[in-house]
Amino acid sequence: MEPDVVRSELVLPPVMPFKKVQTGDKYPKGQSRARYWKHLKQLLQAENFLSLPPDEPNYLNIEAPPSMYPPKKYCDITGFEAPYVDPRTKLRYADPEVFRQVRNLPNEHVQRYLALRNAAVIFR
Amino acid sequence: MAEARIARQTDYDLFSPTTPIVIDNGGSTFRIGWAGESDPRIMFRNVALRPRHRSTGETVTVVGEHDPALFKYFDCTRSSWRSPFDNNVVYQFEIMEYVLDYGFDQLGASSSMAGKVDHPILMTECILNPVSSRAKMAELLFETYGAPSVAFGVDAAFSYKYNQNLGICAEDGIALSVGYMTSHSIPFLKGEPLPEGSCRTNVGGYHVTNYLKELLSLKYPYHASSITWEKSEELKREHCYVAPDYASELQIFKKGTKESEEKKRVWQLPWIPPPQEEPPSEEELARKAAIREKQGQRLREMAAAKRSQKITDLENELHVLETLLSQLEQAEQPEVASSILARSGYLSRQEIESAHFRVSQSLRKARGEPTGTVEDNADNVTSADKYPLVSIPDEMLTPDQLKEKKRQLFLKTTSEGRLRAKQKRSEEEMMRERQNQLEEERRLENPELYLEELRAKYKELSEKMDQRKRLKTNGNGNGNGNNVSGGTGRGERLNAAQRERMRLLTTALYDKGKGEDTFGLKDEDWQLYKLMSKDTDDDDDVVDPDEAELERVATKLQEFDPSFVERTEARLMQSAQEPPRPRTLTAEDYQVVLGVERFRCPEVLFQPGMVGEYQVGLDEMVSHSLRRLPNLDSSVKDHMCQSIFLTGGGSLLPGLEQRLETGIRATRPYLSPLKIVRAVDSVMDAWRGASVYAASEMFSTQIFSLQDYNEKGEDWLRRYNIVYSLYD
Repeated sequence: MEPDVVRSELVLPPVMPFKKVQTGDKYPKGQSRARYWKHLKQLLQAENFLSLPPDEPNYLNIEAPPSMYPPKKYCDITGFEAPYVDPRTKLRYADPEVFRQVRNLPNEHVQRYLALRNAAVIFR
Repeated sequence: MAEARIARQTDYDLFSPTTPIVIDNGGSTFRIGWAGESDPRIMFRNVALRPRHRSTGETVTVVGEHDPALFKYFDCTRSSWRSPFDNNVVYQFEIMEYVLDYGFDQLGASSSMAGKVDHPILMTECILNPVSSRAKMAELLFETYGAPSVAFGVDAAFSYKYNQNLGICAEDGIALSVGYMTSHSIPFLKGEPLPEGSCRTNVGGYHVTNYLKELLSLKYPYHASSITWEKSEELKREHCYVAPDYASELQIFKKGTKESEEKKRVWQLPWIPPPQEEPPSEEELARKAAIREKQGQRLREMAAAKRSQKITDLENELHVLETLLSQLEQAEQPEVASSILARSGYLSRQEIESAHFRVSQSLRKARGEPTGTVEDNADNVTSADKYPLVSIPDEMLTPDQLKEKKRQLFLKTTSEGRLRAKQKRSEEEMMRERQNQLEEERRLENPELYLEELRAKYKELSEKMDQRKRLKTNGNGNGNGNNVSGGTGRGERLNAAQRERMRLLTTALYDKGKGEDTFGLKDEDWQLYKLMSKDTDDDDDVVDPDEAELERVATKLQEFDPSFVERTEARLMQSAQEPPRPRTLTAEDYQVVLGVERFRCPEVLFQPGMVGEYQVGLDEMVSHSLRRLPNLDSSVKDHMCQSIFLTGGGSLLPGLEQRLETGIRATRPYLSPLKIVRAVDSVMDAWRGASVYAASEMFSTQIFSLQDYNEKGEDWLRRYNIVYSLYD
């Protein structure tokens, strides 16, 4: 290792005297551990909340419900209120000037704008 | 969210094993310190990276933020910064372990001889943390670090309690915690949080920053590399605010009034003005002009040489043809004549004559003289002498003479016709002469104006010609080589004439057998074949009046205008010159302007639908929390609403209280009391509250050991909740 890396203590030492089990022993080299952990979704499924009494609060049922107010539509580009939707790109836009801009956007940007409000087409 | 604070502590051994270690395991920042102290010892971003060392090739672990310059020794392409969190729940315990390793190490644990972290640990978690995550965390702390005992508590509750002790908020109230990935509203009754009344929305500071980052990098794609996560965080903290009324704030910006201009903020990216280019000196200019002049001169010379070359070529050809003609004239025997013809390569005398005519015409054209057929001026003899039989009546003639008369009649009419044509031509010539004279006069009168006119005319004509040429050659004016062969390849466009021809061919093909075939009844029908023939567009031998005029104007210009360069050559010259330079970038091009974004991004907290989370916003969460507590008296709820407590890093946005007040008021009964307070330090209070809590005497009643955990099992851990009002 380079001296300035060592000096800055950038890298975690492989052995820590205060640990009972060292990382190297726990996660041996070369072993795939890509699926060692579960995502939150899987975690919650494993919790089996449905079997618990419904009046008891848990992680899932404290989640906020949808708003009472109808969701407002805003222009994806400018942020102003958007009365229109471009049928081709599905982007919302505020006025004709923005529309011109919308039509000139590269597809990648269109998808990124849509992804911002979770409306992008995702190919799997 | 707060600044990182990393410096290895040296006083670890001074703390007795009973002093708890307090960890605020926040979504964005990890804070670790000693119970009873007012500030955490170590704080860093709760992320880890596992890059490969470039020279040794081993995979190493880096936790928290560091000097980016140091990463040049590592190959970070195959890994990215990872957080142990999914939403607000720890799920990647490997990453968590690295983070904890780093935290304990920096706290000085490595210097102890205990071989384990021999202190009780109080750690924060989200409210109603799923038990599997909680169990895994406990396991990690017990088995890997050898902690004697552990306690878990909610960060927002610690913050609330801390501020309650300071008198900021009351016993009953609602904590509104704007976290990193999530926001919670947690009602408090008699100093204890009510999980059943809690409400969580999956938006937080992360979403605000990410929204800002994405919007700015989409608005300024060429600065995308400068708009980093850290920079966006900084911009958010510096410039973002919550609009008191989103719609009207938008209106202000939409109208673009002076007020909106004042509200805009500019972030100037590092920009070095380009070295000022000195205006070229006199000398330089003169040199350049000289070069240009020289080039122009050369081109003009080239043009003149080309022209004279053409003229001499044509003259030579004419001469050859003339000698050929005279030879034929002199040849008495047909054999000699035919041998001459065979040598010349022409088929007949007529052909030679027509060639002669063509050459002489083009010679005239090249010289810039008006085109006109050279007429044999041997027509001086009167028609009576030439055609003696014409005037004699038929009866007086022998059959032979009659035949002769017919011939003479024919000759006479044709020659008369020719004469008329000649007269007309000469008249035209006269006209032209007169025109020339007039022009000459005008030129002498005002040479500049005349030249100007000529130039304009030349330009117009040459453009016209260009246009025509472009139409003819397939539309792609400069000819990209496709049309050189004359044929039209697949996928190439046909010009108008070719299209018409194709249309004729196809209609001819498909009209076959349709109804009665009347083709050929009319004479025009045969015209079709001419149109269909491939070389209808070869009109090279027809002299175009525009072309002739162009030629004439060009010669005139060549004569009088020293700076005149023919168009085709001018184009050559232009391409040789340097291409047009792009506009030099100014400081304004390196500015990122924050207008609507300043309040559009924080609005995500109030309208999570803007980032695709169709949940209630911060203001509505309070009423939802209260609705989830149906057993509570409305007077208690009123009481709670007098102590709405804002905490969490995301709550630092200015204008949040005002907006919340209007929002919450809308959901509450008319004239019901409402008071919103802010935490003393929204970011640090959770850790501080936990520190005070862990330092209290009763803390030991809230902890559990590995043995407890093993004995009581998972279901107990699910229901495990600490009592917060220990030290009131």
